[in-house]
Amino acid sequence: MKTYVIAGIYVFVLILSAFFYFNGLQETESNVHNRLLPVEIKAVRAGASEETIRNIVLEANEQKDKISIAGMQHSQGGQTLYPNGILLDMKPFNQILDLDIASKTITVQSGVTWNDIQRHINPHGLSLKVSQSQNIFTVGGSLSVQAHGLDIRNGGMMSTVESLRLLNANGEIVELSSSKNPELFHAVIGGYGLFGVILDVTLKLIEDELYEVSIDTFDYTDYSEYFQKRVLGNEATKMHLARISISPENFMEEMYAINYSLADRQDRLPEFSELKEERLIAAPKLLLGISRLNDEGKELFWNTQKTYIQSIEGNLVSRNNAMRSDSEFMEYNNASKTEVLQEYFVPVDEFTDYIEDLKVLLEKEKDFNLLNVTIRYVSRNDQAVLSYASEDMFSLVLLINQHADADGIAETGRVVRDMIDVTLNHGGTYYLPYYGYPTQEQMARSYPRTDEFFELKDRYDPDHRFMNIFYEEYRP
Amino acid sequence: MNYKSFIQYQGIVGMASTMIFPFYILMLKNAGTSYAQFGWAYGLFALTAAISYPLIGRASDRVGDKALLSIYSWGMALLLLFFPLAAEIWHVYVLQILMGILGAVQKNSEKAVLARHVDKTTAGKQIGIYHTYTSVAAAIAVIGTGYLVDFLTIASIFYIASIAFAVSGFIVTKMPIYAANPAFLEEKTNI
Repeated sequence: MKTYVIAGIYVFVLILSAFFYFNGLQETESNVHNRLLPVEIKAVRAGASEETIRNIVLEANEQKDKISIAGMQHSQGGQTLYPNGILLDMKPFNQILDLDIASKTITVQSGVTWNDIQRHINPHGLSLKVSQSQNIFTVGGSLSVQAHGLDIRNGGMMSTVESLRLLNANGEIVELSSSKNPELFHAVIGGYGLFGVILDVTLKLIEDELYEVSIDTFDYTDYSEYFQKRVLGNEATKMHLARISISPENFMEEMYAINYSLADRQDRLPEFSELKEERLIAAPKLLLGISRLNDEGKELFWNTQKTYIQSIEGNLVSRNNAMRSDSEFMEYNNASKTEVLQEYFVPVDEFTDYIEDLKVLLEKEKDFNLLNVTIRYVSRNDQAVLSYASEDMFSLVLLINQHADADGIAETGRVVRDMIDVTLNHGGTYYLPYYGYPTQEQMARSYPRTDEFFELKDRYDPDHRFMNIFYEEYRP
Repeated sequence: MNYKSFIQYQGIVGMASTMIFPFYILMLKNAGTSYAQFGWAYGLFALTAAISYPLIGRASDRVGDKALLSIYSWGMALLLLFFPLAAEIWHVYVLQILMGILGAVQKNSEKAVLARHVDKTTAGKQIGIYHTYTSVAAAIAVIGTGYLVDFLTIASIFYIASIAFAVSGFIVTKMPIYAANPAFLEEKTNI
């Protein structure tokens, strides 16, 4: 009898503990995930208020210190780091300043995460226009890497920024928008923190909507046409995501797509508008773990995904919930290995030929451990100085498991550079926030305005107050 | 006394505790940052154990090994549920202090049970067999957990270990081992 009382208490505490633990997961902690770049820095300073940030910059001017600016620090190419520099942590700078429901705009400090915004605007039936698939990043960070997401109708992230305020190297605050100081505006978005500190941002919002999930599976040769006719051509479809198989059975051939289209019954939105929290991650984490090991694991992972997507067909989901994705299961702790991302953009029409060439390349690389390829769409958006989408593109995000030692870095680097060459040959580009594997020449080919970008940097910040490893590595 | 079920019990708690022990350093890494903090976390564990041993030793003869082992099992089961929630270094210190007390309970009771039930002439052999089984269980646990951490979160290791301790809590109540000291009872009735 006594044992059952104790057991009862135990079960109660177990449930409480699990509840608090999963709640705590919502407040994503950020560490520098990637151990490929061990960098000694002089100090970490928290940007708690506008005044503190300004003082940090002025002080750095006096001391001739370099400042690197950090949000969640998920970029992998040293964009937030500089050796012996001051790391300005923007996470504490996270107030929501103003929500204008009538004009559908929100003004936030740049350390605010997309999740914070979603929580704030969801009760008002409003939604973000463009955000990353994962909502854990800071607004300032996402703008600095010019992120994109699932949305296929609202262009790039830049087009959703009404205006922003930037603290420059002199400690002055300048207002930027596509009409005010456009030159600097187009350099700061996708500027990797090299032009100053983004203080606050006014973002355009749209109304939350109810979507119905639909699933299609097809061969890679059909994807371009399928996308143009059935996805882009269907006005009701607002978001899209596809994956291509990495299972040896049908490597780089079989694909599936998840589409989010306006549901017939928009009046049912309130039933689905409550924000969902991160689900149990053990299952996907286990499968991803198995897929790291060997080919059978990859097969199992792919087949499970195909089964899983069948189960979500026809689900109703609010726009806000569709824009909150899980990423925790990708967290990976291994002393000798690490996981890196790559992202390539290829013109929609080039997809089939591109995949064929990429497949030939990857099939030769038996030791290259590719775990996942997710495909999204980015429409042409070439205003940013470092724009990656000079036409309508598919973006392919590759998750790669690699050894963290010198050999592992050299091997992965070789394959990555080969993949980028293939991408460039198909009129594509690669995404800059990841590890510095690409060569300077590859950057110049991907980004024709590279020289202009660095010249602007030197003009607006002649003393190089704002610095990072990315600049050091890629300044021609 | 059922020696086999005692070995089973020790096998399970041994598995559960070795499962978490090397890995919760990863937890410390999240909460603490300096070697001094590591040192303190372990030092507090050892210090509280040192302080508790005399008390536990006496309690062992009075209330019996069974009661102490079930305190240990259920105590650990509950305590481990707090590990995934530890965020500050002082949380870790508090948990280490409690772990120190419970660790002392286990060590003392383990040895007391062995001392009470092992035949003096074959003690070496019997204790050898006992250690063989429990060490094998510990080895399996620690190697297996290494793989598990790759697949699951570190937090889930604590939950799994906690459930294992809860299971051991049930086993110990069913175990026909020494419940209380007859000498102590005699003393009481004589008064």
